[in-house]
Amino acid sequence: MRALLAHAAWVVAALLIAGFLVFPIVLVVLFSFNTSALTSLPLSGLTLGWYAKLFSIEYFLPALVNSLIIGAAVSILTLASGTFAALALTQMRSERARRLLAGLSLPMMMPALVIGIALLSFFVRLLSVPLGLGTVIAAQLVVVQPFVIAILYARLQSFDWAIVDSARDLGATPFQAFRTVTLPIIRSTMVGAGLIALAISLDDFVITFFTIGSGNTLPTMVWGLVRTSLDPTINALATLLIVFSLGASALALRFSRYRG
Amino acid sequence: MAVERKGQFGLWPAGLIFAGLFIVPLLWFFVISFWTVRSLRMRPALSLRNYVEAVQGYGDVLVYTLAVSGAIAVLTTTLAFVFAYAIRFRLGRFANLFLFVTLLTLFGGYLVKIYAWKSILGTEGVLNQTLMGLGLIHTPISALLYSTNGVVVTLTYFLLPFAVLPVYGSLRGIKDVTMECARDLGASPWAVMRDMVLPQAQGGIMTAFTLSFLISAGDYVTPRFVGGGSAMVGTFIENQFTSAFNWHWVRPWPSSR
Repeated sequence: MRALLAHAAWVVAALLIAGFLVFPIVLVVLFSFNTSALTSLPLSGLTLGWYAKLFSIEYFLPALVNSLIIGAAVSILTLASGTFAALALTQMRSERARRLLAGLSLPMMMPALVIGIALLSFFVRLLSVPLGLGTVIAAQLVVVQPFVIAILYARLQSFDWAIVDSARDLGATPFQAFRTVTLPIIRSTMVGAGLIALAISLDDFVITFFTIGSGNTLPTMVWGLVRTSLDPTINALATLLIVFSLGASALALRFSRYRG
Repeated sequence: MAVERKGQFGLWPAGLIFAGLFIVPLLWFFVISFWTVRSLRMRPALSLRNYVEAVQGYGDVLVYTLAVSGAIAVLTTTLAFVFAYAIRFRLGRFANLFLFVTLLTLFGGYLVKIYAWKSILGTEGVLNQTLMGLGLIHTPISALLYSTNGVVVTLTYFLLPFAVLPVYGSLRGIKDVTMECARDLGASPWAVMRDMVLPQAQGGIMTAFTLSFLISAGDYVTPRFVGGGSAMVGTFIENQFTSAFNWHWVRPWPSSR
């Protein structure tokens, strides 16, 4: 009986925590369709008006395009650098590889605020390059890259290098061996890692905010809207962001079977 | 792998990004933290004045930040352990669903999450409106938002998925058989928890704690949107930077490494 009660207590606790995780996101989505501008339950009626209002904001589409350009560039570039790095790391002695991996992951542990400001003063004062999409992409590379390397490195742990050696022994060039043997095996993990990179990039606010100069991405637009107004247009924008990042991570989980 | 293979120039692109966009900018940043400002312009110098001023004038901001981040880290790690433990040992075939929920909320919308809590906790927010609608309270509770409470709840919410994963990862290593053995030999549930589960989960718990502590100590958007009057180090740095333009105060502080 006591064991049963204890079991029930764990299950209830887990349900409450899961509710805590899901509830706020569900609310944001629900209120984006609410006719009333007040955030109180129950909903007063359903409307798509807030989405119409969002699309009529003149800087919304440029922000969306910027976000997509940055996301695409960052995920392709980090996927390239990350795949090469993970392949190289897998071929090293594991303690050395683990030390290098820890080193390359340092940007994950540094507060984004510090990285953002350091890069801003680096771009502006030391290099004198104009701020814009290019500087945002460069800045995001360094924080997104560790995630890509870690995911691919984890997958490559079980990779059998003997098959690449066989291909090479049978006369394949290194590039042929990579394209016909290595790539097909790690392709789905690469797609997963790329989508995680895309999700992180689309969601990044702090580093983007400091390195973009003028112009907007979707997160900096949310920041602006939260500061200036409080109506469900933000909910509509937030819902779009949720759809993008949840969609990317759901697909990523499917492709990579990534589990932590 | 026993033999080291050749062809490690694969690390070059990642290494260049790391060195050129992380190490060099941070070193540069470290250098200008010793500069002085004269007639509104930064001059190269080797002065510790910035550090002295930062510690003297803003020591209490630092203490407040450490206290709040510590509280958030303890709360987040505790919830993460309960959740991860339930997923691993108690939820049976629903475990994967709960894990999936955790992974999905991991990357979904940092600002969106902060905004969500702003609209839940405000005086016109969901919580107050619902409580008033139910007749439980008559005037909205204003202490929910723009206070330390708001920061703690919002950051705990944001960090929880990040904390669940390492704890779950370490719990996954414990075999069911070992647990059953301990119980069959007469160990109480508490003894199993204390002598088996917790020691084995130690690594994951430490990771979760460190991660939550570092991220919340470095955050500035949350205290700015849902926090009260007392600034955290992050908000303070951001203010110095955007309004006062005191670039030389802005530097990595010890807790970040």
